[in-house]
Amino acid sequence: MTLDPDDYTVDELREELDGIDDVEEVREALETERSGAERKTALEALEERLDALDADSSDDEPTRDKKHVRALVGGDYADMWVFCETQHGELLDVSKEMLGKARELMDGYAEDFGDEEDVVAFLIGDGCADLAEECIAYGADVAVYHDDDRLERFLHKPYTEISAHMARGQGTTESTDWRSYDEPRYTLFPATNNGRDLSALVQAELDSGLASDCSDLFIQPEEVSNPVKTGEPGVKKTFERTLHMKRPDFSGFEYSTILCLDNPDRDFHPQGASVIPGAFDVPEPDHDREGLVVEHDMELEDEWFSVDIESHDTLEAGVDLTGHEVVVCLGRGIGDDPTLGMELGLELVDAFDDAALGITRGIVTSSYQFDGHVEQYSKEERQIGETGQEVEPPLYIAAGVSGAVQHKVGVDESETIVSINTDSDATIRDFSDYFIEGDLFDVLPMLTDAVKSGELTVEAVADGGETDE
Amino acid sequence: MEVKPMSETRADGGSDDYEHYEAVVVGCGPGGAAAAARLAEHGIETLVLERGVEAGSKNVSGGLIYAEDSAPYTIDDLFPDFREEAAERPVTDYHIHNIDGRQVTTYDLTDLHEHDTDWCDAVLRRTMDSWLEQRVHEKTSETGGGVLTGVRVNGLLRENGEIVGVTCDELDPIRADYIVAADGVNSELARAADLMDWDEPDEWFQGVKAVVDMDADVINDRFSIEEGEGVAHLFSGDLFEDVRGGGFLYTNEDTLSIGTVFHLDSLVAEEAEPHELLDALLTHPLLAQWFDGEYNELEYSAKLVPDSKKVAHREPYADNLVLVGDAGGQMQAQGPIIKGMNHAVTAGALAADAYALTRGNADPEAAGRRYTTMLEQSGTMGKLRPRRYELTSTVGEHDLVTRAVEGVLNSPVGSVAIGNPIAKRLLPKAYNSPFLVGMLPDTSMAYTTLPSLIGEKHGRTVHWENEIEPPTLEERIGDLTYNTDVGNPHIRLQDESFEASGAAVYACPVSAEDFGGGCYRAETVTTNGSEEKLVSLDTQPCVECGTCAIVADTEWTHPRGEKGVEFKQG
Ligand SMILES: Cc1cc2nc3c(=O)[nH]c(=O)nc-3n(C[C@H](O)[C@H](O)[C@H](O)COP(=O)(O)OP(=O)(O)OC[C@H]3O[C@@H](n4cnc5c(N)ncnc54)[C@H](O)[C@@H]3O)c2cc1C
Ligand code: SF4
Repeated sequence: MTLDPDDYTVDELREELDGIDDVEEVREALETERSGAERKTALEALEERLDALDADSSDDEPTRDKKHVRALVGGDYADMWVFCETQHGELLDVSKEMLGKARELMDGYAEDFGDEEDVVAFLIGDGCADLAEECIAYGADVAVYHDDDRLERFLHKPYTEISAHMARGQGTTESTDWRSYDEPRYTLFPATNNGRDLSALVQAELDSGLASDCSDLFIQPEEVSNPVKTGEPGVKKTFERTLHMKRPDFSGFEYSTILCLDNPDRDFHPQGASVIPGAFDVPEPDHDREGLVVEHDMELEDEWFSVDIESHDTLEAGVDLTGHEVVVCLGRGIGDDPTLGMELGLELVDAFDDAALGITRGIVTSSYQFDGHVEQYSKEERQIGETGQEVEPPLYIAAGVSGAVQHKVGVDESETIVSINTDSDATIRDFSDYFIEGDLFDVLPMLTDAVKSGELTVEAVADGGETDE
Repeated sequence: MEVKPMSETRADGGSDDYEHYEAVVVGCGPGGAAAAARLAEHGIETLVLERGVEAGSKNVSGGLIYAEDSAPYTIDDLFPDFREEAAERPVTDYHIHNIDGRQVTTYDLTDLHEHDTDWCDAVLRRTMDSWLEQRVHEKTSETGGGVLTGVRVNGLLRENGEIVGVTCDELDPIRADYIVAADGVNSELARAADLMDWDEPDEWFQGVKAVVDMDADVINDRFSIEEGEGVAHLFSGDLFEDVRGGGFLYTNEDTLSIGTVFHLDSLVAEEAEPHELLDALLTHPLLAQWFDGEYNELEYSAKLVPDSKKVAHREPYADNLVLVGDAGGQMQAQGPIIKGMNHAVTAGALAADAYALTRGNADPEAAGRRYTTMLEQSGTMGKLRPRRYELTSTVGEHDLVTRAVEGVLNSPVGSVAIGNPIAKRLLPKAYNSPFLVGMLPDTSMAYTTLPSLIGEKHGRTVHWENEIEPPTLEERIGDLTYNTDVGNPHIRLQDESFEASGAAVYACPVSAEDFGGGCYRAETVTTNGSEEKLVSLDTQPCVECGTCAIVADTEWTHPRGEKGVEFKQG
């Protein structure tokens, strides 16, 4: 519908124009006014709006180049699209889970409605061609991918533009002739951090809705009497092939089923959902499955990359105590002189070729004042046990550790456990291979000397070494 | 199933305003369950929020629930199958044992116990509360609400200073026209509303309990009872040295609940270790007859208990919030009677009725005022805060009086007085008179001096040997189930000096001097040559009893929903 300026007073026209973002529409209205009423103030208003819109399109402030995207009416829709998120060159599990679910849904769809429609995987990234192949193995019929080294990491603007471009079937004939519909019938995104962002942006770009964080999906007809949807009060209308998207209600004791239904004068397609990771099972891949892999074709504009990722960080994994030959663990037995105890433990660690120092929770939560040079060893990242790390080295040496069950579960699998304790009734004795009854402040230096002089090796301790029992 | 067309609800799950319920009940113990069930019966849309994985997983009680003849509501009024489905054995036999070394004097307390009692059953809270949760969920679902577990309410939502809802760790704030705080002892809501404080140890008891495995047949045999019968034994005297309090033993279907209840101020003053006091009871020769050398402890647990005589709030409301049960201090402990659950049920139901009666009244405090009146008029407040206690306590608890009386009792004259034949007849009468028991002053005289003098004069001597070995604290902690919120301690020490927080090293039921595996540990630390005694805290072994909220300088909250300890018995 074009705007006829004659229908409005100049004031009304001004107001109306504010809502129009389409340059062509304003231009046409300007022509109409020129050839018709030729109201000076109206012309001014139209020209002003035109200027403003021109300025907008040359202005690269992101908020200003918002375009109003028109929803379709009576569009042609088919297929279930699945955004397959990747990380470090691999498909996320949730991508595979969604492909498995999509496969199941579309197989059922073919049976229920007699139409075979496809599962279409879409991928965006750097070097995702191989992953597109993998999507076929996990159940996709078609995998569309866009490769570009600038897309290595998730970026809102280009990822959104590409997804929408893919969904609308834009691009060269060769890259789009496998399909003949306007937009996907259904689209699934993972409810991951990036997937949630992308789902909202893409569905908005396509002017549809979104059911976020879904935990179940099924397709069935739905009879609706709401006049907003049926067009007239009192009339029932059946929406065929409706994707039912179940999500935990805010309260958790009920699930809401969200439906994305067309209005009489405005389509809500694709019917879109984001899916909670783990909601569905990862399917068995079938590497013999055949499917079509399509490279998507699109020019990416430079300004979409105005956001630069200058640095990135993998979250601090802390200290890894696993994979060492020896782990020396200190407990609250060092309490009489915590700093010295720590030093003695570290000296023993250094005497071995490949050893690490661990501590009990009793140390982590103590009020011990460690001197600066050993303080770093008293932190949670070195805690061994139920709520810390689990280790299973060939040799585990526990000094001044009582051996509470929550500590035990973290070291149980060690091949040889040697403990040093002044208390011969300490629980740790029950699961030690060698128990040295003695003061760690005396015993640790002796052990260190023995290891240094070569008299004590892992084997020697395992053979009995010079220990008591 | 709720079907919402896309254009009507916001499909992104967001909402411009907070969720609203007509009533929100915080906590699904007996008080919360009663309130919610009654609210639903009035057709009120009610949401119940419970922080445990399941109702009961956070709760501990000694174990007797009473149905009083005089109470306006009892639990089986509200939940008709309660006794068959959720309770253990009824109490058909009731005794108190005064202990003085190996000398034990036993009195039959059945009269006192049956005074105003329609029935009384032993319960285990996990079984009981989880059953209640199911019933409450069924009832509240019918009026558009339900029970939501794993959600910890952490504060009050206020608008222009007025309470309009609650805030939670797990969900967005929720608005409500009526809020029932049934969140138990150490109620964070009562504190947030400035209705209760956690300052004075003498306002609280600490209960510590072991649930002990025993076949039903063996129980029947050892306690000389039949199926469908049960016993309650109370213990007082010098078992616990100078710490004021006593012990109990109740029979369940196929377990025993054995525990101790002490005045918190006395525990602190005596630097007593709660687990050792429990062990003193468990290993006393008197108990040997029931264990026969076998002891298999299923669960060790602890909880603070408010002393209603001192803290039951006389006007337990603020704006549209009311307090119910332990949250409002409604825990009656007078002499050997311990009644908390029954009063919570009554109060919960009354709080619901008060709202139903004042529904539509524009004044947010209308329901609270009505609830207060109903507590008074039903006689509930009178039981919680007996007038005669208020008259006697000022004298009875006065140190000088105590010392004088004890002095006399300990003198030959006093002992003779106790030991004479008239006293022998009068003493059981005194114990069996609810009026006199209500007057028992809270001094060591009532708990220790008098009982041990009675024991000395009238007791029989127990010659059995009790050879059981209760588990160590380390083993007890190891047997509990925890869902640790790694990196999120729920209690923080504000002052780690021994003066400020050292009491917790003793009073915390999962800490002990020279035990490195507990919550609170005393440590001698040398800084720049000078020695200092400090306290350190690890919240992982915490059983959420609330003790250190009162005896140490902490910033104290409960763990987030589903986190922390999970009781299987309770
Ligand atoms: C839910 C939960 C989770 C937990 N998770 C963990 C966990 O992941 N890891 C963990 O370690 N703990 C964990 N704990 C705590 C655990 O129970 C113990 O508290 C902790 O391991 C005790 O540390 P410790 O052995 O250093 O101290 P203590 O138990 O105090 O033992 C110190 C030992 O040193 C001995 N000793 C004293 N002086 C000397 C000396 N001079 N020479 C030699 N020996 C001496 C003593 O005899 C004693 O046996 C957890 C607890 C809970 C409840
Ligand atoms: S840490 Fe505090 S709340 Fe936890 S068990 Fe000990 S005293 Fe009770």
